Amino acid sequence: MEQQGEHGRHPLLKELVTEASQALARLDAERLEELALSCQALNRDLANMDKDARKALVPQAKAAVGDMAVFVRVLEATRSNLDVMNRLREQRLGQLEYGTGSRLDWRRTESGHGNN
Amino acid sequence: MGTINSALSVMTQTLDANQEALNVMANNVANANTTGYTRETPNWQENPPLTINGVTYGQGVTETGATSQRDRVLDSRLDQQQQLAASTGSRLTALNTLQALFTPASSSTSTAGNIGSDITSFYNSFQSLEAQPTNNALRQSVLSTAGTLAGDISNAAASLNAQHSALDQQVGGVASQVNALTGAIAQLNQQIKTTSPNGDAGTLEDQRQQDLSQLSQLIGINQITTESNGLAITTTSGQLLLSGGTSIPLTTGTVNGVTDFFLGTTDVTSQLASGGGSLGGNLTARDQDIPNAISSLNQLAYNISTTVNTQNNAGTDYDGKTGTVANPLNIFSPTTTVAGSAISMSVVMTDPNQIAAAALGSGTGDNSNAIAMYNLSNQTIVNGQTPINYYSNFVTTLGATVSGVQTENTAQNASVTQLQTQSNALSGVNLNDEASSMSTLERSFEAASKVFSILNTIMAGILNLGEETTVT
Repeated sequence: MEQQGEHGRHPLLKELVTEASQALARLDAERLEELALSCQALNRDLANMDKDARKALVPQAKAAVGDMAVFVRVLEATRSNLDVMNRLREQRLGQLEYGTGSRLDWRRTESGHGNN
Repeated sequence: MGTINSALSVMTQTLDANQEALNVMANNVANANTTGYTRETPNWQENPPLTINGVTYGQGVTETGATSQRDRVLDSRLDQQQQLAASTGSRLTALNTLQALFTPASSSTSTAGNIGSDITSFYNSFQSLEAQPTNNALRQSVLSTAGTLAGDISNAAASLNAQHSALDQQVGGVASQVNALTGAIAQLNQQIKTTSPNGDAGTLEDQRQQDLSQLSQLIGINQITTESNGLAITTTSGQLLLSGGTSIPLTTGTVNGVTDFFLGTTDVTSQLASGGGSLGGNLTARDQDIPNAISSLNQLAYNISTTVNTQNNAGTDYDGKTGTVANPLNIFSPTTTVAGSAISMSVVMTDPNQIAAAALGSGTGDNSNAIAMYNLSNQTIVNGQTPINYYSNFVTTLGATVSGVQTENTAQNASVTQLQTQSNALSGVNLNDEASSMSTLERSFEAASKVFSILNTIMAGILNLGEETTVT
């Protein structure tokens, strides 16, 4: 990512948001954690900026509004997918515990008679 | 029993079972790059133990077949997201074409994209005429700008009609693709019922899942698992497409000049439009987006034409004539209905002297009516808005629609990517790896939530929409 922005140290907000959406789409947890740290640093710098410097960031923020909308939708879709996957996992674990699936047969065989 | 022979027998059976299991694994490796193949795991079944003289002897295990590591719920969710992504994808393609039509041209040739500036130029030509109402060049300029405006609106309407026809032709071809897929799935249902009514049908189910995935790209569907490993499929609004080994063909017919879709005798076009898949997106563009654009242009053309014609007929032209029913002084082709106004918009006046710059009963040097015609540009003559504002709002609304669909499409494609990642992880790994895959999903979501939360604070702070908060 280009090192641009108010102090030449931070990426443009638009790029940051776009990259966050893309990283979330490909479930790149490490990159997202890096981006979170980057955002924290940006937020700290922002708190120390004077009014004029903050004003200069307004066009950047406006340009990133559309990308934020995309990011929110990707985040919502991820939450839905996470819910589905959690339910599936609970279901699978439930089957292992109480069901009669093939895995259970295998476990019984193994533990009951020592036939590996 | 209890002898070396019996021990060897148990070992032989176990080795046979292991060989079968190895065959399953070899099949997995061989098909590692086969599209749609789902990894299989061997099923083990213990042989009944033998008891002799109170001592129980194990008889080893037998490999009883293989089970594909599929998850129908996950597959179904993936299909559902693919339907949505395909729908917004095809609608977005159509909308981008539509939007490009209304993008101002960089060349000197006037196009539909210049309608906004055409409107301004046309009304401004009356303002110029106010200063010199007898100037022939200025009168000619009014007709010239009117011609450019009418031409661009008419061409835009023609282009929209052409896009509408192309989309109609495109959607018409989908029925045969849907029928081919539902027919194939029905056949697979039969085969699966015959060969594996109670267990996983392996390759056959892989084939069925691939067909379902392709069908999801085309239309919105619901999947219902039935007895004997069967599958019923309905449209998202509940009309049956296939059940067991029987598929119901989707047919087409022309209704009000466009292709409609039928299941039996029921017209399911509107249900398919909202259902998803590329057909849903294209039908939405054909039946909603393009008609809306045509309707807006018709309204604009109708109101500009009728108000300008009415005002011109209310004045006196350069030759001292006034418009009558028999010999009206129309600048634009007169229109009585809104529908069709855009495509038929043209300039019928050929003589610039017929522009009625003077008020009724005034001399030819009067400019009162030219002022009145210029003032039309500032009056709310198109659905409660000035002509230029009406057109601007139309273009802005179109842009917002494109942007909204683009957002949805990006998010849905991201969701499909995530689900495919999860599906791939689940189909070929053990529970530990499955947990790891879940952990990645959870970690990504948490990190993304954190990124969003901070970014939201930053944006709010910069845009002064909320309180500035430092996140530590």
